[in-house]
Amino acid sequence: MKLTISRWRLAFGTLVLALTPLLALAQGGGFGSGYGPPLKVIPAPQSFTTSEAHYQFLLTQAKGGTQHTIASVPRWDGLWVTAGNTHMDAFIEGGNFNGKVRAGVLTPAYEKAFKERWREQTEEGQVHYDRLGRCEPPGMPRFLLEPYSHEFINLPTESYLINDFGPSIRRVLIGKQHSNLYGTHSWYGDTIGFWDGDKLVLNTKYLYPADFTRWSPMTSNQFEAVEIWQLHKYPDGIERIEVQATFYDKFAFVKPVSAVYAFRHAAELAQADYRVIHWECDQTNNNFLDDKGVSNFHLPGEAGFNDGRGSTIFPELPGQTRDPIYNTALPAATSPAQSQSAPKGAKP
Amino acid sequence: MKRLFNPLLLASAVVLMTTNVAQAHHSFAMFDNKTFVTKTGTIVRWAFNNPHTWLYLNIKNADGSETLWSFEGAGVTGLIQRGVTGNTIKPGDTVTFMYCPLRDGRPGGAIGWVKLADGKALNLADGGCTGTEETSRKR
Repeated sequence: MKLTISRWRLAFGTLVLALTPLLALAQGGGFGSGYGPPLKVIPAPQSFTTSEAHYQFLLTQAKGGTQHTIASVPRWDGLWVTAGNTHMDAFIEGGNFNGKVRAGVLTPAYEKAFKERWREQTEEGQVHYDRLGRCEPPGMPRFLLEPYSHEFINLPTESYLINDFGPSIRRVLIGKQHSNLYGTHSWYGDTIGFWDGDKLVLNTKYLYPADFTRWSPMTSNQFEAVEIWQLHKYPDGIERIEVQATFYDKFAFVKPVSAVYAFRHAAELAQADYRVIHWECDQTNNNFLDDKGVSNFHLPGEAGFNDGRGSTIFPELPGQTRDPIYNTALPAATSPAQSQSAPKGAKP
Repeated sequence: MKRLFNPLLLASAVVLMTTNVAQAHHSFAMFDNKTFVTKTGTIVRWAFNNPHTWLYLNIKNADGSETLWSFEGAGVTGLIQRGVTGNTIKPGDTVTFMYCPLRDGRPGGAIGWVKLADGKALNLADGGCTGTEETSRKR
């Protein structure tokens, strides 16, 4: 009988190992791919030199856009999670982790920088460093693939595109012109938009340098985007928000780059009665960049350890722990050093 | 008769199937993700926080003393989709678990799977550790 079970184990293990690469390669961008039919990029209708020219073309085509009311504006209620994307196809031959960096897509400086990231990812198994490890916001275009939950709230004159990372909120001003009173750029820049029936068309400018993700190219402070968001319904009750995006970046791209991103209803989160709560990466993160340029962690008891469930700076007062249900305690970060056994008791 | 589908084996399989495309907000370069170690310890804290969860355990050393070990897991939304919450693991629980160690030798790593005292197996892994029961070695 043992032999039979071992065979079952072997068969099951073999099946898993066989499926694993297929899942990983299904759509190279990952992040929830494999839900619904394969994603297809719809490129820009013609060549544009700037994102604004592209946006204005679409606005003219839509005859100034659809004026929705609170009753007619498309509703994308509830929680969403990522359902794949095609961004790696734009930069990697084959769009998966076995491919090589495509030539002629990135400018020489950005291609060189990306090749080093790709070498680390493919040869060493990991990019050494991810800027989000320092709690930088995802920014754009990374907002479109972050795996934390998303919410999309549409009103006739504004839309709020929310990612539960940080959190990150993109505010879309419907029917407005770009404005920049700060005199600088920011993580999510300035987004204007219009409705074309059930399609939400966006133009985003004034962004900070960021990246697509850590194993994908970096972007410059001249990165701009035109996005078309639309809810698609497929057989078997599949609903997917698809974002057809064209990215412009005169420092990073030889010519504009197009990709499609997707989101699906977070049915598992709704079933679990999940509630999004406020969190800030800085409050709980212990990732740091070491002197070799590699990500690492501070551990309890070490200098720099950030105890996200520890006490406030007033531990002498009752009720100051941030772990009031389980009342656990970790060693205080008093010296550079040695980890120690955790205290047996904890102060509530 | 032995059960045909071992829950730990299933968790190991799910670890493999769900973590191939790493989704963490940081690099996994600090983990030796080709080494899979199994240990038993007592839960000190299950920090079910974003951007990543952390499991803190006291583990007995050969001389009878204890060392606090720290292991990073997936983010909250990812784990809730696998049926794991902030109340699934409690301080004082004794668990057996698999992890990929920190390369610099400090007491920590990336968590793979955890087996609770009642035999229930959990997949807590992010992309940093994708080993199975069979590939783990006891230390």
